[in-house]
Amino acid sequence: MTNEVQTKQSTRQTFLGALDAGSLVKAQLAGRSLVSENCNAAQFSFICNAIVKAAPKMLSLKPLKVALLSSFSIEFIHDSLVALGFLEGLHVEIYQAGFGQFRQEILNPRSGLYAFKPDVVIMAVEGKDWMPTLYRDYLDIIDGELDRDLVEFRKDILNLVRIFREQLGSTLLIHNFFPPVWRQLGILDGHVNQGQAELLNEANRLLCGLCRETQGVFVLDYAGLVSRFGAKQWYDDRMIYYARLPISQPMLPQLAREYMKFFRGLAGKSKKCLVVDLDNTLWGGVVGEDGLDGIKLGPDYPGNAYVAFQEAILNLHKRGVILAIASKNNPADVDEVFSKHPHMVLKKKHFAQEQIHWRPKSESVKEIAARLNIGLEHVLFVDDSPVECHQVARALPMVTIIRLPEQPERFICALLEEGLFDGLSFSQEDRNRAELYRQVEQAEQLRGRSASLEDFYRELEMEVSFHPVQANSVSRAAQLSQKTNQFNVTTIRYSDSEIAARAKDHDWLVTTIRVKDRFGDNGIVALTLARFCSDELDIDTLLMSCRVFGRTVETAMLAYLCDRARRRGALRIRGKIIPTSKNGPSQDLYETHGFQRVSVGSNGESVWLLDLSIGAIAYPKWLRIVAENPQVDKESPVTL
Amino acid sequence: MEERIKQIMADVLDLDPDSIDESTEMDVIESWDSLNHIQLCLSLEQEFQISLGVSEIESMFSYSNILEVLQKRI
Repeated sequence: MTNEVQTKQSTRQTFLGALDAGSLVKAQLAGRSLVSENCNAAQFSFICNAIVKAAPKMLSLKPLKVALLSSFSIEFIHDSLVALGFLEGLHVEIYQAGFGQFRQEILNPRSGLYAFKPDVVIMAVEGKDWMPTLYRDYLDIIDGELDRDLVEFRKDILNLVRIFREQLGSTLLIHNFFPPVWRQLGILDGHVNQGQAELLNEANRLLCGLCRETQGVFVLDYAGLVSRFGAKQWYDDRMIYYARLPISQPMLPQLAREYMKFFRGLAGKSKKCLVVDLDNTLWGGVVGEDGLDGIKLGPDYPGNAYVAFQEAILNLHKRGVILAIASKNNPADVDEVFSKHPHMVLKKKHFAQEQIHWRPKSESVKEIAARLNIGLEHVLFVDDSPVECHQVARALPMVTIIRLPEQPERFICALLEEGLFDGLSFSQEDRNRAELYRQVEQAEQLRGRSASLEDFYRELEMEVSFHPVQANSVSRAAQLSQKTNQFNVTTIRYSDSEIAARAKDHDWLVTTIRVKDRFGDNGIVALTLARFCSDELDIDTLLMSCRVFGRTVETAMLAYLCDRARRRGALRIRGKIIPTSKNGPSQDLYETHGFQRVSVGSNGESVWLLDLSIGAIAYPKWLRIVAENPQVDKESPVTL
Repeated sequence: MEERIKQIMADVLDLDPDSIDESTEMDVIESWDSLNHIQLCLSLEQEFQISLGVSEIESMFSYSNILEVLQKRI
């Protein structure tokens, strides 16, 4: 047996052993190494079979029901999807309609699709199955109704999405279309009016527009995915005709990985923070040994590859990823590179935290996460050293790790391939996030200086404003519900469309909370959903971003709810705590605000009541409160 | 090569590799359906870095036949 085979066998044994012992984190760690390189289809089947047997023991897995609607035999993706989902802590359950049944499944309200009650529905239809004339008989229509297929497609897809939405609030992913591999006019396709590629781009543009307009419906960029790998590698012509399976076996897990990007976003598992090493990561060489002039960074190879990698990281920062440094170095050497090197793209101001010392990197990562107040499972650690990666993996198995390949030109692909930072929305808050984290750091310093806590609150000069959720804040509200783990009393996740539906309901109070302080505008950082039931206001969701922890914003939120409840004539407020491993900071919310506990369930779930005639909560006096739109009692419906 | 074939068959068909022998064929293994058959052939292609013709795929319905086809190809 070769070494490689032996390693594989022993990793498999570790994987099975961990599953048997019910140790999810260890099984995921071994599983990740099994799928990392040259993982063939059989190995995905092995992993999937083992997971299916062990799943009942893995109670902390989060169930995710996925329905696949396709024009081809997509069932071959099953094993890799289940395996990759498991590595993200998801128990993926799959419903597959017969191939070519996608229209019937959506149109028939009694179809298997609707009975399955999926969380996510994926419409994987190849362009030639939807617009056959455009792909197959293009030359026959070239003098006539070139856009007939497009008009039909538009009508068809609009209708399907509308009917789907009437039946289900689930997230819907729709594959866009890869244009015909062999253009019928060859090199002149781009020269004639409306070539095949141009018409397909038009179809994809239509689809983008439709998805933008419909909440919870997303384009899955299949054309982009096929292009990244190349059509000749992606498609298996033999299997198209033999088994109606167009996608070649080694490419199916790549499609599963593309789906995982969405699943991660839906499950609130997208990464938030990138922790990078410096030497041989942001630049070539070791600054402590090679010196400022000796490190490789600049216009020539390999320095230009490092410059490009820094640019890729800067782009992550611009879209809201928090950056941090974990480096074993002399801080003065590092400062010199940042302040003096002419080709540094990244500046100190782009990093929210720095850990530059000689202690273990696991300590650095832990410290960074603690200071940023984010969970370790939302951290991605990137380093070129196998030893450092191993040390962090051992000490902090919940941290995701990318070990950079040998050649710097492959760094960008390694960093971006899995789309670990991809979320389902992109808001103003994302764009400003890095700035916000610097403000938090400044506020923390102020806390250190203030004599008493109350002085600290006053010096922050906070303004807390309450707004009923609006069309332009729905996606931020949904994002908060999907991402917030710590200050979240019930941890109920909502999609855009679910938030919008409740906002329209007369009995629901859906409120976003914006917090400003002397350091800047934090944007929308908290959310409540509450529902009037007879003479009570029942708090369904109360959550707050960690950015404004410990500033009495939660007291203001309860005060606001008391106020709304009294205006509507409610007598009591009811709250519920559903404990999770992460929401410790919010578990005593009701107790500390004078609610009475009325019951505790076997799972630790507790219900609390506040009698408004005795214990209505007042706004903290150091906050300036803005309750805009006080007519939100919805005499007039909110327009969304 | 026999070990590697058995391992792939075990993975795809969810069997114990030691239980696979000349008597292992599609008709007697419940998990060996037409879907898994294609999965199996494609996995063998990946493992041995070969490309099988459809006529070969349609003659590989038992361990012995698989071995026979692959021995010719490698």
